[in-house]
Amino acid sequence: MNQIGPIFRALLRNKVGALLLALQIALTMTIIVNAIHMIENRSSMMARESGMDEANQFHLMYVGYKDSFNERVAVETDLLEIRKLNGVVDATQINSTPLSGGGWSMGLTTTPNSQDGTPVSLYFVDDHGLNTLGVELVAGENFSQTEVTYRLSNDKQWPQNILLTEAAAKNLFPDLTPAEMIGQTVFIRDDEPMTIKGIIDHLQAPWVQWSNVNNVMLVPQRGLWNANRYLVRTAPGERDRLMREVEELLLAKRDGRLIRNVTAMDEQRDDAYQDFFALQTVLWVIVTVLTLVTALGIVGMVSFTVNQRRKQIGTRRALGATKGDIMRQFMLENLLITGSGLIIGVASSIALNIWLVDTFSLPRIGWHYLPIAMVVLVIVGQLAVLGPARKAANLSPALATRTT
Amino acid sequence: MLKMTSVRKTFRTDTIETHALRDFDLQVEEGDFVAVTGPSGSGKTTFLNVAGLLETFDDGDYQLDGKSVQGMNDRQLAQLRNEKIGFIFQSFNLLPDLNLFDNVDVPLRYRGFNSAERKQRIEQALETVGLANRMGHYPAQLSGGQQQRVAIARALAGSPRFLLADEPTGNLDSNMASGVLDLLSEINAQGTTIIMVTHDPSLAQRAQRNIFVRDGQVTEVQTGTNIQELLQQTAQV
Ligand SMILES: Nc1ncnc2c1ncn2[C@@H]1O[C@H](COP(=O)(O)OP(=O)(O)O)[C@@H](O)[C@H]1O
Ligand SMILES: [Mg+2]
Repeated sequence: MNQIGPIFRALLRNKVGALLLALQIALTMTIIVNAIHMIENRSSMMARESGMDEANQFHLMYVGYKDSFNERVAVETDLLEIRKLNGVVDATQINSTPLSGGGWSMGLTTTPNSQDGTPVSLYFVDDHGLNTLGVELVAGENFSQTEVTYRLSNDKQWPQNILLTEAAAKNLFPDLTPAEMIGQTVFIRDDEPMTIKGIIDHLQAPWVQWSNVNNVMLVPQRGLWNANRYLVRTAPGERDRLMREVEELLLAKRDGRLIRNVTAMDEQRDDAYQDFFALQTVLWVIVTVLTLVTALGIVGMVSFTVNQRRKQIGTRRALGATKGDIMRQFMLENLLITGSGLIIGVASSIALNIWLVDTFSLPRIGWHYLPIAMVVLVIVGQLAVLGPARKAANLSPALATRTT
Repeated sequence: MLKMTSVRKTFRTDTIETHALRDFDLQVEEGDFVAVTGPSGSGKTTFLNVAGLLETFDDGDYQLDGKSVQGMNDRQLAQLRNEKIGFIFQSFNLLPDLNLFDNVDVPLRYRGFNSAERKQRIEQALETVGLANRMGHYPAQLSGGQQQRVAIARALAGSPRFLLADEPTGNLDSNMASGVLDLLSEINAQGTTIIMVTHDPSLAQRAQRNIFVRDGQVTEVQTGTNIQELLQQTAQV
């Protein structure tokens, strides 16, 4: 360590080369830190619970194409028959599901005609909705069978009672406990009142990147639309069989409809996060390549320096440097360059993150990324120097007299 | 004391073997000032490198201060170089990115002296060579003669027993060369043993002892011998 003073002073004499390498390291750190931050951010988004029992659920779409197809008869008989199938836990009609990327949202307010509404996504379900989705009531009650009504494409009216996720209700009534939220009135379409009948623990909106993804409202209605969807929950291990059986059951009715998109919920999850996966892969590749390029840059730069300084190294050996002294000299020199690069890197990492936060509303970087990245890059730098430094240490002391 | 007995050194490449030293016998006493002359390629630098532990040898025995250096490991050799030997090179070999102070400091740091002792030694060594007032300068800011003085200060700072110089005046004009030789004579007068390779007969005359190397072997010559003649004879053989 007692070589550090002269090494530092010598570096200051050769600022440009050292500075360029330091800047490369700073850039590498900046990109690595933010890339890993984005990777982790996506991972934590992917780790969020949809609120459903994904391993045991699937859904399918059906579309009537004959005039004779009666949506209302179909939904009533279909659901009765599906629920009777061996291995089916429950089934409901639903307009959309979490992770599907398509759905319906509205604004709710606590006073009529108020400007700042709370956005919620809507799922139309019947009294079997909760059980089929696999969500729990925190307070209040489920819909009763009798309050489930039918909704036509052009209906504008909203039913009396609704269920809300706790997150949505907290947005509306920050100061109330779930029990106190029961019976509260919220307004939809400016001034139509609805009553909170129950609070459910957790359920995601269909859009995984939506900032209000935890705001969900369940509405006790069945749709009589052109295309409708059933969600089916099965006993563990029975789903794959029932996906075929339910489809066959509906097709066997030959009542003039098409069955489409029979989809397992976890398959749906993979689809929903496919872009995230792709982004993470690209970012990992960037992180790896950039680290490698930086390491190779260090190897190249130090090899070049060693070659340039053959005579100096021989002279140092003649003056009493051991092989270890020569190794240490190059390691220390690299440590100083890497170190100053990393100090710049801390500042630029934070700067890039601030810009990303502002521009793409990414979350703030966790401070722990910085020391970890610094340690990793110091290790990478020292490993990269190892080869050329060893070569330098093995140069003959006779180079002091033999080179001109 | 430095004693070589039948030392051999052979350089081998794919195509040729060069016997740089063969049965090289030499004893240098404490306080000697030995000038080494000889034709180019005769083995002078090889001898100095072996003597200074910069190169190993193949056969024979070499004792430095009564101890055989055969079988010493790299660390021990480095320590011996550091403590007992000072080197002066034809092209000065100062480290261009270090100022004079730091240049003289190089061997002292390897020695492990504390900073107070290093400072004192550096200042005194630079004082001795008359450059104490330029400690913050860089080698490129000095003339050749001044650079060689710094190199001498660097060699001296660790108080070595032996000073080995390979054509120390080879890159200097005669004026500067003479100044450097004055300095070496002074140092020798203080008790440091000096072995100096030179191709300049007039400088060799100023050493107390002259040896002549030919085909890797030593011949003792009387100081004051016309070395120019010897060189010409060798050329004719
Ligand atoms: N590293 C080496 N490899 C091969 N041959 C060498 C090497 N170093 C020196 N020689 C040869 O050894 C002989 C002695 O060289 P040297 O001691 O440098 O001579 P001098 O210093 O007297 O001019 C020369 O023939 C030279 O070519
Ligand atoms: Mg030579």
